[in-house]
Amino acid sequence: MRISLNGCCAALLAAAAAGCAGNGDGLNQNGQPIGSGGGSGVVTADLQSIQDNVFTPICSKCHIGASAPEGLQLDSAHSYNLLVDVPSVEQPSLFRVKPGDPDDSYMVRKIEGLSSIVGGQMPLGETPLPQATIDAIRQWIINGAPNSQASTAAAAAAVFAVLGTTPANASTAAAPLRRIVVAFTQELDATLVNDSTVLVERIVPAARAAASTGARATALARTSEAAPEVTQRIPAAALLAEHNPAVLLITPATPLQPGVYRISLRGSGGGALANLAADTLGVDVSWVFTVTEAAP
Amino acid sequence: MSVSGVRLLLLLACLGGATAQAEPYLAVQMGFKCNQCHVNPTGGGLRTVFGDVFAQTIMPAAHLDTGGDNWDGDLGRYLRTGGDLRFDGQVTRQPGSVSSQEFSLEQARVYLEANVIPDRLIAYVDEQVAPGGALNREGYVLYWSAAHDWYFKAGQMYLPFGLRLQDQTAFIQTATGINMTTPDQGVELGWERGHIDAQLAVTNGTAGGSVTGDGKQYSLNLAWVQSMWRLGAAANYNDQSGGSKRAFGIFGGLHTGPISWLAQAEITDDQSIANDQGKQLATLLEADWLIARGHNLKITDEFLNPNRALPNGEETRWSLVYEWTPIQFAQIRAGFRWNDGIPQDPSEHQRLYFIELHGFF
Repeated sequence: MRISLNGCCAALLAAAAAGCAGNGDGLNQNGQPIGSGGGSGVVTADLQSIQDNVFTPICSKCHIGASAPEGLQLDSAHSYNLLVDVPSVEQPSLFRVKPGDPDDSYMVRKIEGLSSIVGGQMPLGETPLPQATIDAIRQWIINGAPNSQASTAAAAAAVFAVLGTTPANASTAAAPLRRIVVAFTQELDATLVNDSTVLVERIVPAARAAASTGARATALARTSEAAPEVTQRIPAAALLAEHNPAVLLITPATPLQPGVYRISLRGSGGGALANLAADTLGVDVSWVFTVTEAAP
Repeated sequence: MSVSGVRLLLLLACLGGATAQAEPYLAVQMGFKCNQCHVNPTGGGLRTVFGDVFAQTIMPAAHLDTGGDNWDGDLGRYLRTGGDLRFDGQVTRQPGSVSSQEFSLEQARVYLEANVIPDRLIAYVDEQVAPGGALNREGYVLYWSAAHDWYFKAGQMYLPFGLRLQDQTAFIQTATGINMTTPDQGVELGWERGHIDAQLAVTNGTAGGSVTGDGKQYSLNLAWVQSMWRLGAAANYNDQSGGSKRAFGIFGGLHTGPISWLAQAEITDDQSIANDQGKQLATLLEADWLIARGHNLKITDEFLNPNRALPNGEETRWSLVYEWTPIQFAQIRAGFRWNDGIPQDPSEHQRLYFIELHGFF
């Protein structure tokens, strides 16, 4: 019985081995249909080349889809919007890519495997990228990290949506918090970014708000059994990132001090946030985070 | 064999008669669930006292006599610790590229378990301390029922989905994006009664990234575990604002004499990736031959269709790995991985030769 079972399993393993790799007919170097763009094998200092030769064939084997590590998707539809001017999750004080400054770009530190990184060198478990490739990425960043694949990415992005925020929903950040970052899947229409579409509020306990005399507070109508919330609007400037118009930077008039805050983006109705094709988010988006005292 | 070794074996016999450890093939070989040898009921990380005893007695080719001192992870009445360290030397060859050769510290991890209420309530941390800075992998509170037939877990955790392999680059690990590099935050309910090994987890679904919207990730893992075989199914649904992702898998194991067989097949459909490129199929077949005590030969065959909507792009990977555990807590692994894929992509034709020192306690 044992021999026959082993034999059957071995036969199964052998049969599986007979399953061959694809012959690649009709595909480019990245396994995509011919004509959809592909790598040349030579990496140059522009995002399209880096995408085709590095991000797509190597990085996006893991960094893709809804469950991408650290929320970083590196397929062509998302890579630029989640890299440039977007804080790293592992080291939030650094941008993943800081235009003009490769040494302070966390992605460069990760692919170079510097001792200051958190976690392993990228690509994880694989051979480090050739120095020539790293040099090309560095040069792209020195050049200001321009988005040479903007039209491709915009066309490829499935929907116009919020990709990520810093601080994230239900997270904490140390005071003083000077900026909130929102990354979208596509470029925003800058003319729609204003006080009616981007709102920063501080949530305070109702009792404290009632005792306060100077605050312009508004009680929110809530149907839940929880104590009623009272919010205080925080003046803030909202602008698109200089090098990445798919990233919204919200800067409070004064840095946020310890407390609970809510950011609301109006994505529906007239004048809602939209991409350059006038596609709105479709729904209003909001998230809450807590600012705490900085560690001594 | 020394007196202490005999004592350890007797303890092992009292605990269950056989054993299992970190790799799922050993769980299949012994007919146990993951929680027999791991504090985490879904496997990986800190070993239980049973797992520590096994690592000193059954697993190695020889047991170095340490007198009456045998490691069981205890730091005191309420604290236990453990760790894993993997140091590699590897050579990679790829058509059109210069071969690379390097030594690298792949991973050093430290585990800490606080038995706040012994056998019922624990706080657990899994911290990767090298390479680079410290990185928290798991950190949760786990409550066990009195009969240890169900549990509730809350915190940051690895998600349950099929076989939890040591190789995080296996196709079945990368296709779903569910592996030990992508822990998520949420809650998990487990059911461990009799032959059933089941978990349901509800998590943020961002693998450590920012949370947007109300979407959550749901992971369901269900297995029927017998002494000779096991069969299971897994499902995952990740509802995110940029598009949802679905994954379904079936997996199993069979023990035939000295050979343990593992298999898993899964399909994914990630709608956050444009042009149907998120429709994948991944399979794994693995045979582990326990040649002699402390000597295991692992043969793995993997298949990946990276885009089910597009023909001719399939990839395969073969691995042959010899695992030698000469003494307790020390293992040497050596082998190669042979990739094959479309002719126009050199990265799909890599050849990896490696030798690894794995220390664990």
